[in-house]
Amino acid sequence: MDRRAMWAIAIKDIKAIRSSVQVWLPMILVPIVMCALIPGGMIYGVRRFGIEGMGNMGNMDSLAKLIDSLPPGSLRDTITSFDSPEKQVLYFVLNHLFVSFFLIIPLMLSSVITANSFAVEKERGTLETLLFSPVEIRTLFAGKVLSAFIPGMAVTFLCGLVYGIVVNVLAYPLFEELIFPTLNWAVLLLWTIPAVILFAIFINVIISAKVKGFQEAYQLSGLLVLPVLALVLGQALGALVLDTQWLLWGGAMVLALAMGMLGFISRHFDRNRLFESQVS
Amino acid sequence: MAPSPIIRLSKVSKSFKDVQAIKDLSFTVSKGEIVGLLGPNGAGKTTVVRLINGVIAADAGTVEIFGQSPLAESNSIRSRTGVLTESAGLYGHMTAKENLAFFARIYGVQDYPSRIDMLLQEFGLAEYKDRKAETFSTGMRKRLGIAKALIHRPDVLFLDEPTTGLDPEASRDLLGYIKELNARDGVTIVLATHLLRQVQELCHRFLFLHRGQLIESGTLRQLEDKYLKSFQVKVESDLKVEGPSYRGFPLQQVEPGVLIFTVETKSQVPELLRQILSEASVYSAEILGRDLETLYFNVRGNFRG
Repeated sequence: MDRRAMWAIAIKDIKAIRSSVQVWLPMILVPIVMCALIPGGMIYGVRRFGIEGMGNMGNMDSLAKLIDSLPPGSLRDTITSFDSPEKQVLYFVLNHLFVSFFLIIPLMLSSVITANSFAVEKERGTLETLLFSPVEIRTLFAGKVLSAFIPGMAVTFLCGLVYGIVVNVLAYPLFEELIFPTLNWAVLLLWTIPAVILFAIFINVIISAKVKGFQEAYQLSGLLVLPVLALVLGQALGALVLDTQWLLWGGAMVLALAMGMLGFISRHFDRNRLFESQVS
Repeated sequence: MAPSPIIRLSKVSKSFKDVQAIKDLSFTVSKGEIVGLLGPNGAGKTTVVRLINGVIAADAGTVEIFGQSPLAESNSIRSRTGVLTESAGLYGHMTAKENLAFFARIYGVQDYPSRIDMLLQEFGLAEYKDRKAETFSTGMRKRLGIAKALIHRPDVLFLDEPTTGLDPEASRDLLGYIKELNARDGVTIVLATHLLRQVQELCHRFLFLHRGQLIESGTLRQLEDKYLKSFQVKVESDLKVEGPSYRGFPLQQVEPGVLIFTVETKSQVPELLRQILSEASVYSAEILGRDLETLYFNVRGNFRG
């Protein structure tokens, strides 16, 4: 593989993110909203108004049921070890429910970046020029994958950092200890999310190669968020606990699926097929 | 001895779904030639460029460039060819310099900063090097597109409709660059276009495509000899003539002082002019109907017939 060409493609595509508002706006807004405003507002609200003042969250019966429904283990033990309902709720929401929220961010961003990088090349006629060059198809794909993987991971880590600062700074007066990160977060950020990003990129490569433009690619890739929303719902209803084991196994499964798709891509996308399907 | 062909197509056919784009196409291009691939939209010109570069595969027949199959030796061949696509294939969000630097890395060009400076200078873009390509006029984009196609010093340059969308001045400049490139560096050039007037003086040889078939080929002189059965000579002169002919040459007087004579062969033209000069002055003389466009319609008419 020609590493020089691969990095040239990756860097070019990363720079292109700046010129597309459809891409960079969600990259900024989603992390700010999901990693700073929502958790920050929640902690502030609980500290200021107490559980009773927080509407539905103050429904202690359902919270107690939810915590009771957690399987025996470290999460349940940790939560029940807190002496106040405020701490129990916040710990449960911040270190449990937000884990699945965190999966949505990289999934969405890497989908947008990949859809943008392939479909825009196609729309603007630059893919044709790239296919006329001596760059190997696997080098082209590797460059494209890197161009979505690197920003996806960078935003994920940035989100983790911002989230950690917001949570620890705002929740410290209540807990009098740092509650972030836990082992779950480490596994999520270093194992599960990279696997999810790769999965999202590969599936978007396939989608982008089949559709005509960015909008279509982006709309189809939006369907990817549905399984993650199911996870969020499952967690919120207490039907599912994304503990460390789950995150490890889930990451492994998603990675295996991603590798399967990589195999599909390498078998089905040679230069001639790509050219005939992508260039009119 | 004629130089050996650098490109050779033999009985090549290509279909897209139910549409036959190329049918039984055979031709060669020699090193150092500028060959015009001519035909209306949909004639198959772009498909030929794509087949030669190995980005699409022929259904039948053989395609060779540099003596190799573009499908088998695709990357080594593509590193020796440059292609200007109709859209120029540039990244609008990148500056002229960044575009060239990107393609230099893709083509593995060593010491590309000096090559970029040289090309920007040569194509009159040095002062715009830090401007984004999306702000360029069509002419500037085409020039940058050719600079991009030349970044790796290709042996063969393919230009697909290089002057489409350009004003006459920009077209003239661009064709001037192409001619100079061929004369100075010996780059073989295959130029696909439907704008015949523009390439008449540029190309050494022409290939006429119609619905994916080669219907004629040759130099301007060869085509002239084959398709012009008589010549009309427009003469501006003070010759006084009465009647429909002059010394056996049929004539028309289109306006006072302008006469159009019909001769059967070009070799009769000097004789006609000598005779006129012996009794009057000649201010200008021009053979009509020998331009590429007229020849093209003759070829098309003949093919249909």
